[in-house]
Amino acid sequence: MIPIASTVRIRNPRHQFWIPLFLVWLLLLPVALLLLPLFFVACLVIRVNPFRALSILYGILTALKGTDIAVDDGPYSVLVRIH
Amino acid sequence: MNENRRKILDMLATGQITADEAERLISALDKDQPGASGANGSEPRSKAKAKYVRVLVEDNGKGTGPKVNIRVPMQLLRSGVKLASLIPDHARTHVNHALREHGVPFDLGQIKPENLEEVIDQLDDLTVDVDDKDVKVRVFCE
Repeated sequence: MIPIASTVRIRNPRHQFWIPLFLVWLLLLPVALLLLPLFFVACLVIRVNPFRALSILYGILTALKGTDIAVDDGPYSVLVRIH
Repeated sequence: MNENRRKILDMLATGQITADEAERLISALDKDQPGASGANGSEPRSKAKAKYVRVLVEDNGKGTGPKVNIRVPMQLLRSGVKLASLIPDHARTHVNHALREHGVPFDLGQIKPENLEEVIDQLDDLTVDVDDKDVKVRVFCE
């Protein structure tokens, strides 16, 4: 399943965002559909199976769930969590 | 469930032993039968698979360096390595040539998805510890 939300926390200045990724995917879907023919052409030019490329890219997208990045440098800190 | 395990659970249920004692007995039972199949012919219990790769960067007590804590799902590594199969032929030739020039006679075309799966599976036991004067880096699977 693709990630549905992401949490971004920044300290100094203190901000916390909750990003509803499922809405981002919905917004990006028409763009992705528009770019799809271009993607297929590009894949054929570089002789890569476009269906395989799509399946791998989708695999990467779904595997992002559970990624957690926290960087703390003195007064500054950033946390990105993908749910 | 094998007979000994059932006996222990029965003893626990009737109050003859405490939960701690039951746990100790079951642990002892597991140690006595490493890798053995259960009485019902079930598969031997295997080690739990690691789900994440953790990268930890910590300062060595001086409090000056950045602290980094990254958790990457194993599935992301699996999907990432599959990207190698999308490298176009002409790019692969260039990469192979560059590798050979740098003393690495390796052909990227030889990497098969099943080999990569095997490599990822073996990462379960990976632990890298780098102890520098300023920072300590740890990479491990969990």
